[in-house]
Amino acid sequence: MAERIFFNLLQVATVMVFAPLAAGVTARLKEIVQSKRGPSVFQPYRDLWKLFHKDEIVSEDSSWIFRFTPYIVFVAPIFVALLIPVLTSYPLFFAFMGDMLGGGFVLALGGFFATLAAVDTANPYGPIGASRTRMVGFLAEPVFMIVFFTVSFVAGSTIPYIVQQKWVMPIANFFAPSHVLLVLAFLMLILAEGGRIPVDNPTGHFELAMIDESKSLEYSGRGFALMKWGGQMKFFVLLCIFLNVLVTPWGLAAGQTLGDVLLAVPLVLFKIFCFILVLVFIESSLAKLRLFRIAEFLGAAFITSVAAMIAQVFIG
Amino acid sequence: MSLVWILIPSLIAALLTGIRTPRSWVPGITVVSCLIVLVLAVRMAWSVAAGGSVGESLGPGWSNWVALDGLGALILLLIALVATTAAIYSVGYLAHEDLSHGKLRFYHANYNLFVFSMLAIPLIAEPTLVWIVVELTTLASALLVSFENTREALEAAWKYVVLSLMGAGFALFGFLVLFAAMQATGGGTYTWSGLVAAAPRMPPLLVQTAFLLILIGLGTKVGLVPMHTWLPDAHSQAPSPVCALLSGIETTSILYVILRFFPVMQAVPGAHAETWALVLGLISVGTAAFLLLQVHDYKRLFAFSTVEHMGIMLTAVGLGASAHYGAMQQIVSHAVTKSFCFFAAGATLLAVGTRDIAAVRGLIRRAPGAGAALVVGGLGITGAPPLAVFLSEFAILKAGLGAGYYVATGLLAAFIVIAFFGVMVHVNRMVFGAPEVEEPDSPAERPRLPFSCGLALVLGAVPVLVLGVYIPPPLHALLQQAAAALAR
Amino acid sequence: MSDATRQLIENLNALAAGLFLLTAFGIVAMRQARGCLMLFIAQSLLLAASAALLGLRFDSGHLYGVAIVNLITKPIIVPWLLHRVAPAGLYTRREVDQVLNIPTALLIALALAIGAYFLGIPLAKAVGPEYQGPNVPIGIAGLLLGAFTLTVRREALPLLIGLLAMENGAFLAGILIAHNLSMLVELAIATDGLIIVFIVGVLVRAVAKQVGTTAVGELASLKERPAGQAAPGAAR
Repeated sequence: MAERIFFNLLQVATVMVFAPLAAGVTARLKEIVQSKRGPSVFQPYRDLWKLFHKDEIVSEDSSWIFRFTPYIVFVAPIFVALLIPVLTSYPLFFAFMGDMLGGGFVLALGGFFATLAAVDTANPYGPIGASRTRMVGFLAEPVFMIVFFTVSFVAGSTIPYIVQQKWVMPIANFFAPSHVLLVLAFLMLILAEGGRIPVDNPTGHFELAMIDESKSLEYSGRGFALMKWGGQMKFFVLLCIFLNVLVTPWGLAAGQTLGDVLLAVPLVLFKIFCFILVLVFIESSLAKLRLFRIAEFLGAAFITSVAAMIAQVFIG
Repeated sequence: MSLVWILIPSLIAALLTGIRTPRSWVPGITVVSCLIVLVLAVRMAWSVAAGGSVGESLGPGWSNWVALDGLGALILLLIALVATTAAIYSVGYLAHEDLSHGKLRFYHANYNLFVFSMLAIPLIAEPTLVWIVVELTTLASALLVSFENTREALEAAWKYVVLSLMGAGFALFGFLVLFAAMQATGGGTYTWSGLVAAAPRMPPLLVQTAFLLILIGLGTKVGLVPMHTWLPDAHSQAPSPVCALLSGIETTSILYVILRFFPVMQAVPGAHAETWALVLGLISVGTAAFLLLQVHDYKRLFAFSTVEHMGIMLTAVGLGASAHYGAMQQIVSHAVTKSFCFFAAGATLLAVGTRDIAAVRGLIRRAPGAGAALVVGGLGITGAPPLAVFLSEFAILKAGLGAGYYVATGLLAAFIVIAFFGVMVHVNRMVFGAPEVEEPDSPAERPRLPFSCGLALVLGAVPVLVLGVYIPPPLHALLQQAAAALAR
Repeated sequence: MSDATRQLIENLNALAAGLFLLTAFGIVAMRQARGCLMLFIAQSLLLAASAALLGLRFDSGHLYGVAIVNLITKPIIVPWLLHRVAPAGLYTRREVDQVLNIPTALLIALALAIGAYFLGIPLAKAVGPEYQGPNVPIGIAGLLLGAFTLTVRREALPLLIGLLAMENGAFLAGILIAHNLSMLVELAIATDGLIIVFIVGVLVRAVAKQVGTTAVGELASLKERPAGQAAPGAAR
């Protein structure tokens, strides 16, 4: 029992420690693709370190929401990391607390507070970003729903640990159309929710074009560090769900010993870095969509997810 | 003599007109090839009328892929007849227009290919191959529709191609489903006769689905309402001889493919093919009859009349076995009369240079030949006695009443009367109406009708007039065989 | 053939069919003309893949033939033919507005695909127990979506692709339920597709030259009433 709690905390630690690294690697790779050298992959750690040591300035006109939000944004992905398979292929101590839908709600809670906080300060750019995030969010919501419903339809469960077994037993299931189409739909969702390029430019500095970034414009010091770190962890957790549950449920620790679980860390990181390569390829080869074209992008994701459902029904 | 020989003259003519032949030969080649085809078709129809259907094997595994029975022979004969008169008509019609040599050859090569593809429809007995030649008729005639290369002609050709091919897509699936139904009975040759033989054992659901898909798909090309929207455009924008082919015989030869399913469907329980035919046919007749009233273009007038006639034929088939003879007679009378109508419309167009009904008044004084032809065509196509269409429509109505379909027959009669007025009001104004401005009646300004057009008009008028009072015994035998082919 | 291999083949075939459905949706919505062509090529490749996999399953030489014919004609000859015949501007066109906006079009397309399920499943059942699989319903969906493409698009190339996609859909169902259709017929149908491309290409070139646009769906001058009076849908 204690062992399982420890492993669970180890999962959280992995997410906390390596989330900035994933962000750093992504940024560096993108710079390299653009024929630049780019910052070190450890730059996000230095940024966080620097921000934690800076003074925090909070607007006098803001309410408690503004002060409270960074903690929620920071904690939400940690909660999710307790629920999902980050390192092990068997459920750990806290996994009983929620399924994939539960995880989705917890992540959405963080997003909800970030949106409120953006409106709270009356900075003109915050509400712009907030309303845009909501637009992306409510367009992505039905896709999330269909994806989860299809998953539960195929696997008979929304518990990630059951789902991941379903895709590889037998191996032919991996090629089932519902699986491949779900993966495609979820990939589009990750791009939308993670604020990646066809939907949003994470490295953009032009406030009027921002979607995700403008919500944390008013933050400074420790609050900003928490927002940033939380955002990186959220993306890392999404990647874990995507890779460990949906796409490649291999490389997770099946054994109960500490060695097995520690060995899973580099394997999972390897998968994530491989995916980052794909992500960098996508981001470098596409242009950011105009705001009202985002509806079409997510419409495509919706169609893909429904096609997954239809294909599943058609076979049966 | 092998059946496929009849395809060869058109193919050779297409090749000859496609390569660099001297300009003066080009129309002649088409006319000669059509005459040869007509002679062959008459011979074949004669032998079928005398001795029943003919089938032959193309090779091992392709048994009975080429066959000709009464229905097929009738269609073949009509195609050859209309193709010949239209080819004669084309000679003068195109000589009138200023055409480059290449454009002339292009027209004739396409014309021959079009005739070739139509001739193949009644000859081939393998349904999927029939589908392919139906596609070929669309593709070969598409560029003939757009021949005049005006904005309107191109638009008409585009609609024609897209809607016909869209229908063909559904029909293809229908034919594949039909094949699957055939396979489900444990094999057998996939031909019209094989289908009729296997029909009682085929899964009813598959046959019904296939029938509906094919009825909708090919019905698009026949011009059944509500899939008719392209037809008035294409059948009015094409050059007049091509209109004669399209309206007079192409629609009918596609309808023939649909008719092939009726004997199959009769063996399938709960298929109601007759009901579908009756409903769809009456809708077509009714819609076309009312649309005729508000037409502004006299070629469109005849094109809508084609929709009406396709509806009449389908209704007749739906009225039951006693009306089948009338339906076959209607196919014949429509083919000869409608082609004549378009020849008359073409002559009018040559004389006045506009398609607008309102702009043509007092035609009988300006161009007596065209005016007289238009009156005969108008009366002929609307079923005025004693012309060919009257006889066939009368036979259909009589059979309908005899079979107890009082409502359907009454509606059909009413629609025919409405269509009669719809056409004749316009034709009457055009031919006899007083011109709004009195034009100087100098003979020099009056374009003369080319000789070959006049010849085609005379030749085309002969069956219109004769078939109204007298049906030759061999034709009667052929019609009876064709009618028999519609029932099991 | 062992059960596991059979299962794998069936799942791969189902995957090809599922992606086929996705390309059919893409053809409805894709704005760029060239993108439509690429989707069509992908769709044809998936059709060929499905034919090859079914060939493996039924041990049928015919289906391998279908796969090869598809591989040669659609991804190679169709683009080449278009390149030769059609006007150069055809590829670079973007369709700014369709008849319906894209999300609406996609939703209707979705309804059609679901409708195809209710048509396809009983049909496949009627053919026989060994013909279960997604080919028939997805083929019907492809057919319907192709027809739908023809009604919502205006640009020439997507319309042509819609026509060809209809044929692809009919074939996807056909390779399962009519897998022993004569090879002669298969070849003739493939040739027919090429003739369609040729004729439509020539027509589009004439339209582009005469009217100055390749948005052929916008041609609507042939109507019953003289211009000025609205005649809704009369010429459609």
